[in-house]
Amino acid sequence: MIVGVLRFAQDEVLLPDSSYLFNMPIIWMLVAAIGAAGWGMLALHRGETVSAAWLVLAAVGTYLIAYRFYSRFIATKVLSLDDSIVTPAHRLTNGRDFVPTSRWVLFGHHFAAIAGAGPLVGPVLAAQFGYLPGTIWIVVGVILGGAVQDFVILAGSVRRNGKSLGQMAKEEIGPFTGVLAMIAILAIMVILIAVLTLIVVKALAESPWGVFTILCTIPIALGMGFWMKVIRPGKTMEATIAGVALLLLALVGGQYVAASPTLGPMFTLTATTISWGLMGYGFIASVLPVWMLLAPRDYLSTFVKIATVVALGLGIVITLPNLQLPAVTRFVDGTGPVFAGGLFPFCFITIACGAISGFHSLVSSGTTPKMLDKESDARVIGYGAMLMESFVAIMAICAASILDPGVYFAMNSPLALLGGGSADGVVTAVHNWGFTLAPGQMDAVAKAMGETTLISRTGGAPTLAVGMANIFAGVFGRGLTALWYHFAIMFEALFILTSIDAGTRVGRFMVQELGGLIWKPLGRVSSWPSTIIASALIVAAWGWFLIQGVTDPLGGINSLWPLFGISNQLLAAVALSVGTTLTIRAGRARYAWVTLLPLTWLLAITSTAAWQKIFSADPRLGFLSHVAQTAAKVASGGLDATKGSRMIVNDRVDAALCGLFLVITWAVVISSVRVWLRGRNSEPALLAASAALAA
Amino acid sequence: MTPLILNEVKDLLARTATTVKRIVGMPNYDAYVAHLRAHDPDCAIPNEKEYYDLYLEGKYNGGPGSRCC
Repeated sequence: MIVGVLRFAQDEVLLPDSSYLFNMPIIWMLVAAIGAAGWGMLALHRGETVSAAWLVLAAVGTYLIAYRFYSRFIATKVLSLDDSIVTPAHRLTNGRDFVPTSRWVLFGHHFAAIAGAGPLVGPVLAAQFGYLPGTIWIVVGVILGGAVQDFVILAGSVRRNGKSLGQMAKEEIGPFTGVLAMIAILAIMVILIAVLTLIVVKALAESPWGVFTILCTIPIALGMGFWMKVIRPGKTMEATIAGVALLLLALVGGQYVAASPTLGPMFTLTATTISWGLMGYGFIASVLPVWMLLAPRDYLSTFVKIATVVALGLGIVITLPNLQLPAVTRFVDGTGPVFAGGLFPFCFITIACGAISGFHSLVSSGTTPKMLDKESDARVIGYGAMLMESFVAIMAICAASILDPGVYFAMNSPLALLGGGSADGVVTAVHNWGFTLAPGQMDAVAKAMGETTLISRTGGAPTLAVGMANIFAGVFGRGLTALWYHFAIMFEALFILTSIDAGTRVGRFMVQELGGLIWKPLGRVSSWPSTIIASALIVAAWGWFLIQGVTDPLGGINSLWPLFGISNQLLAAVALSVGTTLTIRAGRARYAWVTLLPLTWLLAITSTAAWQKIFSADPRLGFLSHVAQTAAKVASGGLDATKGSRMIVNDRVDAALCGLFLVITWAVVISSVRVWLRGRNSEPALLAASAALAA
Repeated sequence: MTPLILNEVKDLLARTATTVKRIVGMPNYDAYVAHLRAHDPDCAIPNEKEYYDLYLEGKYNGGPGSRCC
C-alpha cells in the first residue's frame, strides 16, 4: 500500500506534465493562493512575532508555481529537451560513472552533492538584516537565478557528453576564457576551504565535547576504510551503518569526556591549535589513498546530512516556532556587528548557496550529466534539486530567527564589539543596538547547550546549532537539548571536514594541472614529489587565509565570508555566461534573457561588493582604509608594529584577491559578449551537437 | 511467516539498499556485473575487490565536480 501511495505521489502530484492532477488549473490557483497568503502574513505582521509556518508556506508556494510554469518554459522553449535524443548515460554507459539512473534516485544524489554548509551558514549571518530580506532573496534568487543556472548547465553538459564547465567555457567561448575559468575555480576552492574551516574552528574552540566527537570521526573513518578495502572488500553499506552507530556513541560519550576533570582539559583547545591541526589533517588526508579516509568520510557525512536535513524540515513543520527576530533590522544601513556592509549588495553576497551558487555548475557539469536517463529528467534534477537546496536555506533562516535577537547578536558579534566579552559589556552592547539581553541570559543558554560560553561564537554554525537544538527539543522535550546542540555541531563539522578532504585533493589536482602548463614534471598526478608539493601549496594557501581569519580582531568572518560570497557569485557569472553562449549559439537568442537577467544582477552585486570591499572609506568594510587605519595606529604607538604589519599584509592580499575576482569576472563576460555578437548568425552549435549525437 | 513474504521483504530490502547506494554514490558491484554481462557476455568480470579499486579511482581521483560547499 505504501508503495502505491508513493507511486501515486510520484506520478500524479510531483511531476509528469501529462498527469491529470498536474494540469488542473484549480490546483495551481490554490497553490498560488497559499503562497500569496504566506507572503501576505509576513508583510502584514510587522513589529510582532509571526509563525515560521507563513515563511515556509510563502517559500513552498512560490517554488511550486515557479517549477510548474517557469521551469517548463525553460525546458521546452529555451533548451528544447528531447527524450528522443539518447543521453550520455546510455550512449557511453560503462556501469561506473556513466550509468542511467532513475529520476528520483538521481535527484537525491544530485541534491546530496550540492547541499553543504553554504546554504546553512549564509542565511544565519544574513539574519542580521532581519529575516525578510534574506527570505525574499533566497526565494526570488533561486527561481530566477540559481535553479536556472543549474538547469541550463546540466542540459548543456548532457548534450556535450557530460563535459565540465571549464571545458565548455574553453570550447564555446575560447581557450583564454577556459584558463580564466580554471583560475577562478582554483581561487574559489581555496577561499571556500578556508572559510568553511574557519567555521569549524570557531565552533570547536574551547569546546571539549565537540572536539572529542570530531576527533573520533577520524579513527571511525579509518576503521570503515580498512573494513571496506581489506576485510570485506566493497561492503560499504555494513561499514557505514556501523560507522554511524559509532559516531552516535562518540557524540554521547563526548558529554562525559567534557565533564571529566582530567579528560576535559585535554580536549579543550584554542582556535589556533585547532587551525594547525586541521591544516595537518587536510595535508595528510589529501595525500593518503582515498579508501583510507575520504571515501568512508564521504559516506558517513552524506548519510548524516540527508537524515538531518529531513529531520530539521520535519521539526520545523511539527513545532512551527515563532520568529523572534524582527522582519527588518536597523542594520540594513551597513552598521551591523555580524559583518560590515549594507543590505545592497551584501545581503546578496552573504547568501550565495541557497539563492544562487556558482559551485553547483561544477556538479551539474560533473557527475550528474553522466547519469541522466532522459533529457526531460534534467528539469526536476537541475531546477528541482536547487529549489530543495533553497528550502534548506529557508530552514536555516527559520533556525536563526527563532532565537531571541539579543542572544543572536551576542553570539554572532566579534568580541571587540561586545566590550571584550565581559558579562556587563555584552549586555550593554546588545542594549545599544536596540535589543534586550537579561544579565545571566547568555550563561543560561550556554549551560543548556552544554558549553562554557556562547558569547561571540561567530561563524553561524553555533547559532544554527542552538536553533536546531531548540527545534528538536520542541519535538522531543527539553531533556536532551545539549545533546541536540552537539549533534548539530557534529553534523556541520562532519561534512565541512569532508569538504576539506575532497577540496584539498581537488585543489591539488588543479595545481598539478595548472603547474604542468608551466613546468611539465609538476603535472604528473601520480608522482610523489609533485603530489607532495602541490598538496603543500594548496594547504598553505587556504591555511594562510584560515590563520588570518582566526587572528583577525574583527572575527575573520567579516573579511572571509564576503570574499567567499564574491568568489562563488563570480563562478555563477562564469556559468551564466557559458549558459547564455549556449543559448545564443543554438539560435535561441530571443530567449537569452533567461540567463542574462540573473547574470546582470550578479554583475551588479559582485562588482559593487568587490569595489566596496576594496575602496570603502569605512575601515570595517574597505580593506584599503583598514590598512590606513592600522598604519595610523602603529604610528601612534597604539598597536604592536609586527602585529600591525601582518594585518596590513593580510588586508592588501584580500584587496588584491577581490580585484582579481573583479577582473576575471569582467574578462569572462566581455569575451562572452564578443562571441554572442559574432555567433548570432553562425551554425546553431547546440542543435548541431545534438544532431551529431543522435546519429 | 511464509517463505513468500520473507522473499518479498528480502527483495524490498535489497531494492532499498540499491537506491540508498545510488543516492549516496556508493559502489554497486551487483549492478556493475549485471551491466558487464548484458553488454559483453565474454568479457572478464573483476572480483568485488578489483571493482572497488576501479570505482574509487574513477570517483575521487578526477577533477572537481563531485561535491559542493
